[in-house]
Amino acid sequence: MSPAPGDEGAGPVDIGTEMRAAADFLSRPPSATPADRGARTSDLSMDEEIALHSIGWEPLQLVCGACLFSVPMGVWNWGQGEIAYASNAYARAFAGASEQLHAECTKVGGRGVVGVHVEAEVYRHHVDVVLLGTAVRPVGSTGLSADPVFVSDLSGRDFALLMSSGWAPLGLAVGASFVYAPRRSAGTAMKQKSQNIELTNFTEAMYSAREAAMERMQEAALGMDATGVVEVKVTEGPMDFARHAVSFTAYGTAVHLVADQHRTLSPRMILPMDDPVQAFDVSSLRG
Amino acid sequence: MADGLGQLPADDGQVPDLPEAAERRFSEGAFTSGLTVPDFAACLQMGLEPVGYVQGFCVMQWQWYGMGSPFGTFGSPFSGGTRGYTESWQCPHGYVSAEHRGWGQNYEQSWIEDAWHQGFDGAYSRMLEEASAAGAHGVVGVTDTSQPLGDLGVLEFRVQGTAVKVAGAAPPADGRPWTTYLAGQRLAKSIEAGLAPVSIAATVASVRVWAYCVTEYLTEGSSGSWGYQSAAAEIDQMSKAHMAVRRIAREQIRGRLDHDSLHGASMITSERELGQGDAELQCILRGNRVRRFKAFDPLPAPRPTVRLL
Repeated sequence: MSPAPGDEGAGPVDIGTEMRAAADFLSRPPSATPADRGARTSDLSMDEEIALHSIGWEPLQLVCGACLFSVPMGVWNWGQGEIAYASNAYARAFAGASEQLHAECTKVGGRGVVGVHVEAEVYRHHVDVVLLGTAVRPVGSTGLSADPVFVSDLSGRDFALLMSSGWAPLGLAVGASFVYAPRRSAGTAMKQKSQNIELTNFTEAMYSAREAAMERMQEAALGMDATGVVEVKVTEGPMDFARHAVSFTAYGTAVHLVADQHRTLSPRMILPMDDPVQAFDVSSLRG
Repeated sequence: MADGLGQLPADDGQVPDLPEAAERRFSEGAFTSGLTVPDFAACLQMGLEPVGYVQGFCVMQWQWYGMGSPFGTFGSPFSGGTRGYTESWQCPHGYVSAEHRGWGQNYEQSWIEDAWHQGFDGAYSRMLEEASAAGAHGVVGVTDTSQPLGDLGVLEFRVQGTAVKVAGAAPPADGRPWTTYLAGQRLAKSIEAGLAPVSIAATVASVRVWAYCVTEYLTEGSSGSWGYQSAAAEIDQMSKAHMAVRRIAREQIRGRLDHDSLHGASMITSERELGQGDAELQCILRGNRVRRFKAFDPLPAPRPTVRLL
């Protein structure tokens, strides 16, 4: 059968021969010139690395940033409005970790960091943020770049797809807000005790936290001259240690268009012909 | 190789302490394998023949070190008994009371790292002995675990994988098989990308945080009654400990790569809070040590597809 249009180029791979070549290579002593062996570290999967290579980028080193910021005593007690200390601690912890990630990436000669794992934990007295990812650069590029280092939590695959369609990541846009759910009056609480009824104090607190957090994330993106934010992740809900306070956090990768216009990738429709494996429960034989 | 990983205990290639039952098992003819059926099929496609499911174990007595402190609260806890990273902080308040934490220190717990390597590398080299005895070129689909055995203060290290032969290939260098966490299609993609598996690589970093007064107040939320108000501020000592434990792990693994690269790394960091701002951080970093065996030959840009189901 002749190949379908667009399939030409990648010839068949004799993986058996390649494997034997690799095994023979390993049976010989390593090269005497270790400089050409790279010494890279990366937490990308092989698929992600192949996707990166396909758009002319390569991984360099594993980089990280960590920052713990304190929340003073007493700020989670009953009150009204936003818990500014907590919101500020979240923003400062993120900024501190991000600054270190930028510094590590620049130090190893990377143009950006992809696949960033974000660990952000809020405790009663501190907010911990750890960012871990792989610094990348265009294949073989060295020296300084005029472009600022970007940070993105997109996977290697998503980064390749984004770049192929004419867009580029700029940085992590973050917003968070912590708000008190005000107490109901004793009379209201008594009246509502035996009813399934909306607790408007919680709903309003949630809306208030959401609006503040989303706006901060958007402002952060605009501050980077971004067009938008992709892969936004949100968390929301009461705090474990302060059930009368609700949190809303949001972060994602700020992106902007670098090509003249968006490039449509025109994906090809495929219809897999293999049957899905039917689950078979052996115990059904026993009736 | 500069480290314990991949080194066999005997220089002459003989296996000194392989259990008799293991030798008998390997000579019986039928192979065993921990591969899934798709991985098994992919390995056959690559010319890899499974020869045996090889395993290494090492059970270590494992006590937590550094609970409490033998040092006075106003003296440096550092006694010189460690190597590597140390960093100190001094109380800004002057003498307040005997309980006041006048000194703070972060230090690398090299003895814990050494004990971990004794367990991990011991289990690894025992697995390698079995693979070598089976005449394997390599071990694919390696898995490793380290878990406490009940509450006995005992930690068991396990390293297991499927030993394979490569049809028609030269024997491995020094009779020492290569190893990789990958198997099946993931290994095939690595080979196709020009990266040959050298060995698995793993290390641990351990940092103890001995909090000084400011760290204690900031992490515990207490406000000093002697004029120091616990304010919103970065907890410098803890931030530096978190950075240090991850940096040490990365430096250690680079030291074990001997200029090769590490792919598919996994970094797992855990923190044990010991109270009053004290903590112990542990970072385990592992991945596949690989070496480029053919020139970089990027695949064509993949075609995006939409799957109809």
